[in-house]
Amino acid sequence: MTAFLALLRRDLQVASRQAPFLLIGTLTQPILVILVFGNILPRLGLVSARFGIVMMPGLMAIAILMAGVQGVLMPLVQDFSGTREVDERLLAPISVLGVTVERIVAGAVHAAAAGLVAGPAMMLLMHGAGLGDVVPTWWLLLPLIAICGLLSASFGLTLGTQVQPRFAGLLFAVVLGPMMLFGCAYYPWAQLKAIGPLQYLFLLNPLTFVSEAMRLAVTPEAPHMPTPLLLFGLVGWLLVFTFLGKRAFEKRAIL
Amino acid sequence: MSTLLVENLTKTYPGTRKAPPVEAVKGISFSVEKGEFLGLLGPNGAGKSTTLGCISTLVRPSGGRIVVDGAEVGKDSSGVKRRIAVVPQMRNLDRELTVRELLTYHGRYFGLPAAEREARATRLLDELQVADKAGAKPATLSGGQQQRVMIARALMHDPQVVLLDEPTTGLDPQARRLLWETLRSLHERGLTFILTTHYMEEADRLCQRVAIVDHGKILTLDTPAALKKSLPGAQVLDLWMRARQPLAPRLREIAGVLKIEAVEATDGEELERLRLFVDPGEGLLDRVLAAVREGGADLRHVSLAQPSLEDVYIHLTGRELRE
Repeated sequence: MTAFLALLRRDLQVASRQAPFLLIGTLTQPILVILVFGNILPRLGLVSARFGIVMMPGLMAIAILMAGVQGVLMPLVQDFSGTREVDERLLAPISVLGVTVERIVAGAVHAAAAGLVAGPAMMLLMHGAGLGDVVPTWWLLLPLIAICGLLSASFGLTLGTQVQPRFAGLLFAVVLGPMMLFGCAYYPWAQLKAIGPLQYLFLLNPLTFVSEAMRLAVTPEAPHMPTPLLLFGLVGWLLVFTFLGKRAFEKRAIL
Repeated sequence: MSTLLVENLTKTYPGTRKAPPVEAVKGISFSVEKGEFLGLLGPNGAGKSTTLGCISTLVRPSGGRIVVDGAEVGKDSSGVKRRIAVVPQMRNLDRELTVRELLTYHGRYFGLPAAEREARATRLLDELQVADKAGAKPATLSGGQQQRVMIARALMHDPQVVLLDEPTTGLDPQARRLLWETLRSLHERGLTFILTTHYMEEADRLCQRVAIVDHGKILTLDTPAALKKSLPGAQVLDLWMRARQPLAPRLREIAGVLKIEAVEATDGEELERLRLFVDPGEGLLDRVLAAVREGGADLRHVSLAQPSLEDVYIHLTGRELRE
């Protein structure tokens, strides 16, 4: 446990030194998107003002997912492409599972911080633009952000260990980009009933559950996924990605 | 009881679709006593680093047993990791931390109390002559300085055995000598080291016992002096030439020539190389040169020297140990 906490401390200290860059990286995209879709397009009469309310939790979800994935993926890809800093962790008196879980927790802290900054920033923006006030259910939001952060980081671990470093650049175009479009960030899952059974395909995308979790906590008045399905999806994907990520990590780290 | 025991260690890296499996270690056994400096000498790909990797728990052995002061690899990994320290071949210093933080964080990983890790970091930075770099990031350090920081980091948790994997590869001669001095003084203070190297001079200068490793096996293991003594004769006479006919029968007749070996030519070398183990006496060189001339060979170089560990390697494998 000592080694686990020491590793976590190291990661958070390093992250806090880079906080301004991480924040800019996390916030730019969702804020610009809300500006366009929540402010400019409604004023032009191209989308309804309600669209901002629908997509704001989805944008929080994207911020969480991206921060969680990057928080784990980037160090892993660097490690496996040559620096082998990971060996210093593996030589600490801690199990491989411990090293893996620490990576996920550190990534989850990134992700949660991104969500907690992106959410209020967008709320202010929407308030300022007269798009209506969003009042999150905080007691629900905080634990959901935590579990969504863990899920995002474990997904980052799986990606980081499965993907060859030279293909890391393609991840955004091939995996993360499509995930964001088909992750119910811009539309509630419940309303996908309109497309028939295809609706269930969206459950294969972990972002769907992160988006719906944010929707539940931030804009409960909008239609959202049944809570049992939501929890099952969040916990299920978290376990799947932790298992896959740990297995692949061990395979690549211990020769 | 030995501090480290390695018994019948084997390691086969699994093959892939494109590459067949690689049998890197084929049954290596040795033990290291407390305070000893042991060297594994051999060419690249001999299995030295894999052996160290298995001891450090970063490579999973395929077979055999490794015990470090009572803790067995594969059964008590955390126990093994507390007892050993690794100075890897690849410089893997945490780029985000300063040199001093590198040490104190390493101390934290091993649960050292704050006062102790600060005091130890100060002492080790001083001892390894990198105190003036305490606030610098590792990327700004020279190769030799990074190497010394890695040694300081390794010593933070007071390990029983320190594994040094090719510690001076890539260093300039001056930095290499400085590192040798540092290692020798650490050893004099009672630390136990295992070193892999393909520099025979490094093994000769630092190690009390040397294992010569080739193709995943230990060919011989003894003190450098005993290894050199195991060669026939007191000196080694090398002849590089272009021969028209085999010279060995003619040379074998000469008194004082104890043994003759042909050394395998290395890449780009066109000359034939004969190695004579000799007991030099009055007129020996004259007699050898005369025999060469009579044999019609075109002699290009001659070298007469005290045997080195490299000569032991050549004697055992018939090949040169290329640096």
